[in-house]
Amino acid sequence: MKLILSDKPLEISTQLGERSAYFDLSSMKISNCVGCFGCWVKTPGRCVIRDDATMIYPCIAESDSVLYVSRIRYGGYDTVMKTMLERAIPVQQAFIRIHCNETHHVQRDVVPKRAVIVAYGAVDEEECDIFRRLVARNAYNMCFESYDIIFVVESMVNETVKQILDKWEKS
Amino acid sequence: MGKIMILNGSPRAPISNSKQYAEIFARFCKIETVYHNITKTNHNELCAGMSGFSDVLFVFPLYADSLPVGFLDFLKTLENNPPVNKPTVSVLINCGFLEPEQNKVAVQMIELFCRRNSYVMGSVLMLGSGEAILKTPFKYAAVRAIRNLAVSVADKHYNTFNATMPLSKKMFCLAANIHWSLYGKKFGTTKKQMQTMRIEG
Ligand SMILES: Cc1cc2nc3c(=O)[nH]c(=O)nc-3n(C[C@H](O)[C@H](O)[C@H](O)COP(=O)(O)O)c2cc1C
Repeated sequence: MKLILSDKPLEISTQLGERSAYFDLSSMKISNCVGCFGCWVKTPGRCVIRDDATMIYPCIAESDSVLYVSRIRYGGYDTVMKTMLERAIPVQQAFIRIHCNETHHVQRDVVPKRAVIVAYGAVDEEECDIFRRLVARNAYNMCFESYDIIFVVESMVNETVKQILDKWEKS
Repeated sequence: MGKIMILNGSPRAPISNSKQYAEIFARFCKIETVYHNITKTNHNELCAGMSGFSDVLFVFPLYADSLPVGFLDFLKTLENNPPVNKPTVSVLINCGFLEPEQNKVAVQMIELFCRRNSYVMGSVLMLGSGEAILKTPFKYAAVRAIRNLAVSVADKHYNTFNATMPLSKKMFCLAANIHWSLYGKKFGTTKKQMQTMRIEG
Protein backbone atom coordinates (compact mmCIF):
# COMPACT_ATOMS: atom_id res chain seq x y z
CA MET A 1 0.00 0.00 0.00
CA LYS A 2 1.05 3.56 -0.72
CA LEU A 3 0.13 6.42 1.60
CA ILE A 4 0.11 10.17 1.17
CA LEU A 5 -0.25 12.36 4.24
CA SER A 6 -0.33 16.09 3.76
CA ASP A 7 -0.77 19.07 6.03
CA LYS A 8 -2.54 20.98 3.25
CA PRO A 9 -4.99 20.00 0.50
CA LEU A 10 -3.29 18.60 -2.62
CA GLU A 11 -4.60 18.54 -6.20
CA ILE A 12 -3.99 14.86 -6.81
CA SER A 13 -7.26 12.95 -6.53
CA THR A 14 -7.25 11.84 -10.20
CA GLN A 15 -3.75 10.50 -9.93
CA LEU A 16 -4.26 8.02 -7.13
CA GLY A 17 -3.75 4.41 -8.11
CA GLU A 18 -5.27 1.33 -6.53
CA ARG A 19 -4.06 0.46 -3.08
CA SER A 20 -3.21 4.09 -2.38
CA ALA A 21 -4.60 6.30 0.31
CA TYR A 22 -4.45 10.05 0.64
CA PHE A 23 -5.31 12.04 3.75
CA ASP A 24 -5.39 15.81 4.01
CA LEU A 25 -4.63 16.04 7.72
CA SER A 26 -5.64 19.70 7.84
CA SER A 27 -9.27 18.71 7.23
CA MET A 28 -9.35 15.96 9.86
CA LYS A 29 -10.05 15.83 13.55
CA ILE A 30 -6.84 14.75 15.24
CA SER A 31 -6.09 15.83 18.77
CA ASN A 32 -2.76 15.85 20.56
CA CYS A 33 -1.28 12.73 22.11
CA VAL A 34 -1.65 13.07 25.87
CA GLY A 35 1.20 10.70 26.69
CA CYS A 36 -1.00 8.24 28.62
CA PHE A 37 0.64 5.11 27.12
CA GLY A 38 -2.82 3.51 26.98
CA CYS A 39 -1.91 2.16 23.51
CA TRP A 40 0.89 0.15 25.14
CA VAL A 41 -0.51 -0.91 28.50
CA LYS A 42 -4.33 -0.71 28.49
CA THR A 43 -5.53 -1.39 24.94
CA PRO A 44 -2.34 -2.50 23.17
CA GLY A 45 -2.27 -1.34 19.54
CA ARG A 46 -5.26 1.02 19.94
CA CYS A 47 -5.21 4.66 20.94
CA VAL A 48 -7.68 5.57 23.67
CA ILE A 49 -8.57 8.81 21.84
CA ARG A 50 -11.11 7.67 19.23
CA ASP A 51 -10.72 10.38 16.59
CA ASP A 52 -9.54 10.40 12.94
CA ALA A 53 -5.98 9.42 13.87
CA THR A 54 -7.21 5.86 14.47
CA MET A 55 -7.90 5.59 10.72
CA ILE A 56 -4.44 6.76 9.78
CA TYR A 57 -1.89 4.95 11.92
CA PRO A 58 -2.98 1.50 10.63
CA CYS A 59 -2.36 2.85 7.10
CA ILE A 60 1.08 4.09 8.12
CA ALA A 61 1.87 0.61 9.43
CA GLU A 62 0.60 -1.15 6.29
CA SER A 63 2.33 1.02 3.71
CA ASP A 64 5.57 0.17 1.97
CA SER A 65 5.79 3.67 0.48
CA VAL A 66 4.82 6.86 2.24
CA LEU A 67 4.82 10.45 1.04
CA TYR A 68 4.62 13.06 3.78
CA VAL A 69 4.04 16.71 2.87
CA SER A 70 4.67 19.17 5.67
CA ARG A 71 5.58 22.71 6.49
CA ILE A 72 8.82 22.94 8.45
CA ARG A 73 9.05 24.82 11.73
CA TYR A 74 12.30 25.35 13.65
CA GLY A 75 13.80 22.45 11.72
CA GLY A 76 11.00 20.00 12.58
CA TYR A 77 7.54 19.13 11.27
CA ASP A 78 4.99 21.88 11.86
CA THR A 79 1.91 21.32 14.04
CA VAL A 80 -0.44 19.42 11.71
CA MET A 81 1.98 16.67 10.65
CA LYS A 82 3.69 16.50 14.05
CA THR A 83 0.35 15.94 15.78
CA MET A 84 -0.31 12.90 13.57
CA LEU A 85 3.19 11.47 13.94
CA GLU A 86 2.87 11.60 17.74
CA ARG A 87 -0.49 9.81 17.53
CA ALA A 88 1.13 6.95 15.60
CA ILE A 89 2.82 5.35 18.62
CA PRO A 90 0.22 2.52 18.87
CA VAL A 91 2.17 0.91 16.00
CA GLN A 92 4.99 0.27 18.45
CA GLN A 93 5.14 -1.87 21.57
CA ALA A 94 6.29 -0.60 24.94
CA PHE A 95 9.13 -3.10 24.82
CA ILE A 96 12.61 -1.99 23.90
CA ARG A 97 15.25 -3.65 21.73
CA ILE A 98 18.65 -2.75 20.37
CA HIS A 99 18.34 -1.50 16.80
CA CYS A 100 21.26 0.01 14.85
CA ASN A 101 23.25 0.03 18.08
CA GLU A 102 20.70 2.21 19.90
CA THR A 103 17.73 1.40 22.10
CA HIS A 104 14.37 1.63 20.27
CA HIS A 105 10.87 0.21 20.62
CA VAL A 106 9.83 -3.12 19.15
CA GLN A 107 7.46 -2.47 16.22
CA ARG A 108 4.13 -4.23 15.82
CA ASP A 109 3.06 -5.32 12.32
CA VAL A 110 4.77 -2.44 10.54
CA VAL A 111 5.94 -2.88 6.95
CA PRO A 112 9.42 -1.48 6.29
CA LYS A 113 8.97 1.50 4.03
CA ARG A 114 10.46 3.92 1.58
CA ALA A 115 9.63 7.45 2.60
CA VAL A 116 9.58 10.64 0.58
CA ILE A 117 9.18 13.85 2.51
CA VAL A 118 8.23 17.05 0.73
CA ALA A 119 9.24 19.77 3.14
CA TYR A 120 8.19 23.35 2.48
CA GLY A 121 8.68 26.64 4.26
CA ALA A 122 12.26 26.11 5.50
CA VAL A 123 13.89 29.50 5.94
CA ASP A 124 17.57 28.68 5.47
CA GLU A 125 20.11 25.90 5.01
CA GLU A 126 20.60 25.56 8.77
CA GLU A 127 16.92 24.72 9.17
CA CYS A 128 17.12 22.17 6.33
CA ASP A 129 20.11 20.57 8.06
CA ILE A 130 18.26 20.14 11.35
CA PHE A 131 15.34 18.63 9.46
CA ARG A 132 17.67 16.18 7.69
CA ARG A 133 19.00 15.08 11.09
CA LEU A 134 15.46 14.73 12.43
CA VAL A 135 14.35 12.49 9.56
CA ALA A 136 17.50 10.41 9.97
CA ARG A 137 16.46 9.82 13.58
CA ASN A 138 12.80 9.19 12.64
CA ALA A 139 14.00 6.51 10.23
CA TYR A 140 14.98 4.28 13.16
CA ASN A 141 11.62 4.67 14.91
CA MET A 142 9.34 4.75 11.88
CA CYS A 143 10.74 1.79 9.92
CA PHE A 144 12.11 3.83 7.00
CA GLU A 145 14.35 1.55 4.93
CA SER A 146 15.26 4.53 2.82
CA TYR A 147 14.10 8.10 2.51
CA ASP A 148 14.34 11.17 0.32
CA ILE A 149 13.76 14.69 1.53
CA ILE A 150 12.76 17.26 -1.05
CA PHE A 151 12.83 20.87 0.10
CA VAL A 152 10.57 23.15 -1.93
CA VAL A 153 8.91 26.53 -1.70
CA GLU A 154 5.24 26.27 -0.83
CA SER A 155 4.07 27.18 -4.35
CA MET A 156 5.91 24.13 -5.76
CA VAL A 157 4.31 21.55 -3.45
CA ASN A 158 1.60 20.34 -5.86
CA GLU A 159 3.94 20.13 -8.83
CA THR A 160 6.51 18.20 -6.79
CA VAL A 161 3.91 15.77 -5.44
CA LYS A 162 2.64 15.12 -8.99
CA GLN A 163 6.15 14.25 -10.14
CA ILE A 164 6.61 11.83 -7.24
CA LEU A 165 3.27 10.13 -7.94
CA ASP A 166 4.23 9.77 -11.62
CA LYS A 167 7.41 8.06 -10.53
CA TRP A 168 5.47 5.79 -8.16
CA GLU A 169 3.10 4.85 -11.00
CA LYS A 170 5.96 3.86 -13.25
CA SER A 171 7.88 1.90 -10.63
CA MET B 1 19.75 38.92 41.48
CA GLY B 2 18.28 36.68 38.80
CA LYS B 3 15.00 34.81 38.82
CA ILE B 4 14.17 31.67 36.86
CA MET B 5 10.87 30.85 35.15
CA ILE B 6 10.45 27.08 34.78
CA LEU B 7 8.03 26.04 32.03
CA ASN B 8 6.91 22.44 31.71
CA GLY B 9 6.16 21.48 28.09
CA SER B 10 5.05 17.90 28.75
CA PRO B 11 1.57 17.05 27.39
CA ARG B 12 0.87 15.41 30.75
CA ALA B 13 2.54 18.16 32.74
CA PRO B 14 0.72 17.74 36.08
CA ILE B 15 1.76 14.07 36.34
CA SER B 16 4.93 14.17 34.25
CA ASN B 17 8.50 13.15 34.80
CA SER B 18 9.32 16.69 33.66
CA LYS B 19 7.45 18.02 36.70
CA GLN B 20 9.59 15.90 39.00
CA TYR B 21 12.74 17.05 37.22
CA ALA B 22 11.61 20.67 37.62
CA GLU B 23 11.05 20.10 41.35
CA ILE B 24 14.57 18.72 41.76
CA PHE B 25 15.91 21.71 39.82
CA ALA B 26 14.05 24.14 42.08
CA ARG B 27 15.29 22.33 45.19
CA PHE B 28 18.93 22.78 44.20
CA CYS B 29 18.61 26.26 42.75
CA LYS B 30 20.08 29.04 44.84
CA ILE B 31 17.92 31.72 43.27
CA GLU B 32 14.15 32.12 43.09
CA THR B 33 12.22 29.89 40.68
CA VAL B 34 8.62 30.14 39.53
CA TYR B 35 7.03 27.05 37.96
CA HIS B 36 4.23 26.79 35.37
CA ASN B 37 2.76 24.02 33.26
CA ILE B 38 2.28 25.09 29.65
CA THR B 39 -1.41 24.50 28.85
CA LYS B 40 -3.44 25.10 25.70
CA THR B 41 -4.85 28.31 27.12
CA ASN B 42 -2.05 30.07 29.01
CA HIS B 43 0.47 30.81 26.24
CA ASN B 44 -0.09 34.57 26.10
CA GLU B 45 0.01 34.94 29.85
CA LEU B 46 3.32 33.03 30.05
CA CYS B 47 4.86 35.02 27.19
CA ALA B 48 3.97 38.32 28.84
CA GLY B 49 5.18 37.13 32.24
CA MET B 50 8.59 36.12 30.92
CA SER B 51 9.87 39.71 30.95
CA GLY B 52 10.36 39.69 34.70
CA PHE B 53 12.85 36.81 34.62
CA SER B 54 16.58 36.63 33.96
CA ASP B 55 16.30 33.01 32.83
CA VAL B 56 13.72 30.59 31.53
CA LEU B 57 14.12 26.81 31.82
CA PHE B 58 12.10 24.70 29.38
CA VAL B 59 11.54 21.21 30.80
CA PHE B 60 9.99 18.77 28.34
CA PRO B 61 10.12 15.21 26.98
CA LEU B 62 11.32 14.05 23.57
CA TYR B 63 8.33 13.19 21.36
CA ALA B 64 8.93 11.47 18.01
CA ASP B 65 12.54 12.65 18.05
CA SER B 66 11.61 16.30 18.53
CA LEU B 67 9.46 18.75 20.52
CA PRO B 68 6.00 17.70 21.78
CA VAL B 69 3.50 19.45 19.53
CA GLY B 70 1.87 21.44 22.35
CA PHE B 71 5.26 22.87 23.26
CA LEU B 72 5.98 23.63 19.60
CA ASP B 73 2.72 25.59 19.52
CA PHE B 74 3.83 27.52 22.60
CA LEU B 75 7.09 28.50 20.88
CA LYS B 76 5.11 29.72 17.88
CA THR B 77 3.03 31.93 20.18
CA LEU B 78 6.18 33.16 21.89
CA GLU B 79 7.66 34.07 18.51
CA ASN B 80 4.64 36.27 17.80
CA ASN B 81 4.40 37.70 21.33
CA PRO B 82 7.96 38.30 22.51
CA PRO B 83 8.48 39.59 26.05
CA VAL B 84 9.95 43.08 26.40
CA ASN B 85 13.07 41.71 28.10
CA LYS B 86 14.25 38.38 26.79
CA PRO B 87 15.55 35.90 29.36
CA THR B 88 18.39 33.45 28.73
CA VAL B 89 16.94 30.09 27.63
CA SER B 90 18.04 26.81 29.23
CA VAL B 91 16.71 23.33 28.49
CA LEU B 92 16.11 20.16 30.52
CA ILE B 93 14.98 17.50 28.08
CA ASN B 94 14.35 13.84 28.86
CA CYS B 95 13.73 10.88 26.59
CA GLY B 96 12.60 7.31 27.16
CA PHE B 97 15.51 5.59 25.45
CA LEU B 98 18.89 5.05 27.08
CA GLU B 99 21.01 7.37 24.97
CA PRO B 100 20.86 11.05 26.00
CA GLU B 101 22.17 11.95 22.53
CA GLN B 102 18.81 10.99 21.06
CA ASN B 103 17.66 14.39 22.40
CA LYS B 104 20.16 16.33 20.32
CA VAL B 105 17.96 17.30 17.38
CA ALA B 106 15.30 18.69 19.73
CA VAL B 107 17.95 20.82 21.42
CA GLN B 108 19.13 22.06 18.02
CA MET B 109 15.55 23.09 17.28
CA ILE B 110 15.50 25.20 20.45
CA GLU B 111 18.87 26.69 19.53
CA LEU B 112 17.49 27.64 16.13
CA PHE B 113 14.43 29.20 17.76
CA CYS B 114 16.71 31.21 20.06
CA ARG B 115 18.99 32.45 17.28
CA ARG B 116 16.02 33.50 15.15
CA ASN B 117 14.31 35.29 17.99
CA SER B 118 17.37 36.82 19.67
CA TYR B 119 17.36 34.81 22.87
CA VAL B 120 20.70 33.87 24.42
CA MET B 121 21.02 30.14 24.90
CA GLY B 122 22.08 29.06 28.41
CA SER B 123 22.57 25.54 29.79
CA VAL B 124 21.32 22.22 28.44
CA LEU B 125 20.74 18.92 30.23
CA MET B 126 19.92 15.90 28.09
CA LEU B 127 18.58 12.98 30.13
CA GLY B 128 18.30 9.45 28.77
CA SER B 129 16.15 6.72 30.38
CA GLY B 130 13.99 9.58 31.66
CA GLU B 131 10.74 7.63 31.83
CA ALA B 132 11.97 5.45 34.68
CA ILE B 133 15.25 6.69 36.14
CA LEU B 134 13.69 8.38 39.19
CA LYS B 135 12.07 5.09 40.22
CA THR B 136 15.36 3.17 40.17
CA PRO B 137 18.56 3.04 42.24
CA PHE B 138 20.08 5.18 39.46
CA LYS B 139 18.04 8.19 40.53
CA TYR B 140 21.27 9.70 41.87
CA ALA B 141 22.63 10.10 38.31
CA ALA B 142 19.65 12.26 37.31
CA VAL B 143 19.65 14.22 40.57
CA ARG B 144 23.37 14.96 40.31
CA ALA B 145 23.03 16.19 36.74
CA ILE B 146 20.01 18.36 37.58
CA ARG B 147 21.92 19.86 40.52
CA ASN B 148 24.81 20.71 38.16
CA LEU B 149 22.31 22.25 35.77
CA ALA B 150 20.72 24.33 38.53
CA VAL B 151 24.08 25.61 39.77
CA SER B 152 25.18 26.48 36.23
CA VAL B 153 22.04 28.52 35.53
CA ALA B 154 22.03 30.29 38.90
CA ASP B 155 25.73 31.18 38.57
CA LYS B 156 25.39 32.03 34.88
CA HIS B 157 28.19 29.59 34.12
CA TYR B 158 26.15 28.00 31.36
CA ASN B 159 27.14 24.51 30.31
CA THR B 160 25.90 21.32 28.67
CA PHE B 161 25.25 18.13 30.65
CA ASN B 162 24.20 14.54 29.94
CA ALA B 163 22.96 11.79 32.22
CA THR B 164 21.38 8.37 31.98
CA MET B 165 21.28 5.03 33.79
CA PRO B 166 24.76 3.54 33.99
CA LEU B 167 23.68 0.35 32.22
CA SER B 168 24.71 -1.47 29.07
CA LYS B 169 22.14 -1.28 26.27
CA LYS B 170 21.31 -4.93 26.80
CA MET B 171 20.74 -4.52 30.54
CA PHE B 172 18.67 -1.41 29.89
CA CYS B 173 16.38 -3.33 27.52
CA LEU B 174 15.95 -6.02 30.13
CA ALA B 175 15.18 -3.53 32.92
CA ALA B 176 12.87 -1.44 30.71
CA ASN B 177 10.94 -4.52 29.63
CA ILE B 178 10.37 -5.56 33.24
CA HIS B 179 9.26 -2.00 34.01
CA TRP B 180 6.72 -2.05 31.15
CA SER B 181 5.43 -5.54 31.98
CA LEU B 182 4.70 -4.41 35.53
CA TYR B 183 3.09 -1.22 34.21
CA GLY B 184 0.73 -3.32 32.05
CA LYS B 185 -0.03 -5.65 34.93
CA LYS B 186 -1.42 -2.70 36.91
CA PHE B 187 -4.15 -2.45 34.27
CA GLY B 188 -4.69 -6.20 34.07
CA THR B 189 -2.83 -6.45 30.76
CA THR B 190 -0.48 -9.40 30.29
CA LYS B 191 2.91 -9.21 28.64
CA LYS B 192 1.57 -11.32 25.79
CA GLN B 193 -1.32 -8.91 25.24
CA MET B 194 1.11 -5.99 25.24
CA GLN B 195 3.15 -7.79 22.61
CA THR B 196 0.29 -8.05 20.14
CA MET B 197 1.40 -7.35 16.59
CA ARG B 198 -2.10 -6.15 15.63
CA ILE B 199 -2.88 -2.49 15.20
CA GLU B 200 -6.48 -1.30 15.74
CA GLY B 201 -7.47 -4.89 15.22
C1 LIG C 1 4.00 10.23 21.58
C2 LIG C 1 5.30 9.92 22.28
C3 LIG C 1 6.48 9.97 21.56
C4 LIG C 1 7.70 9.68 22.18
N1 LIG C 1 8.83 9.74 21.42
C5 LIG C 1 10.02 9.40 21.98
C6 LIG C 1 11.21 9.39 21.20
O1 LIG C 1 11.20 9.69 19.99
N2 LIG C 1 12.37 9.03 21.80
C7 LIG C 1 12.43 8.69 23.13
O2 LIG C 1 13.50 8.35 23.62
N3 LIG C 1 11.31 8.73 23.91
C8 LIG C 1 10.11 9.08 23.35
N4 LIG C 1 8.98 9.11 24.13
C9 LIG C 1 9.10 8.81 25.58
C10 LIG C 1 9.10 10.07 26.46
O3 LIG C 1 10.08 10.98 26.04
C11 LIG C 1 9.37 9.66 27.90
O4 LIG C 1 8.38 8.76 28.32
C12 LIG C 1 9.45 10.82 28.86
O5 LIG C 1 9.96 10.36 30.09
C13 LIG C 1 8.10 11.48 29.10
O6 LIG C 1 8.33 12.61 29.92
P1 LIG C 1 7.16 13.40 30.67
O7 LIG C 1 6.61 12.47 31.72
O8 LIG C 1 7.84 14.58 31.27
O9 LIG C 1 6.14 13.77 29.66
C14 LIG C 1 7.75 9.38 23.55
C15 LIG C 1 6.56 9.33 24.28
C16 LIG C 1 5.34 9.59 23.66
C17 LIG C 1 4.07 9.52 24.46
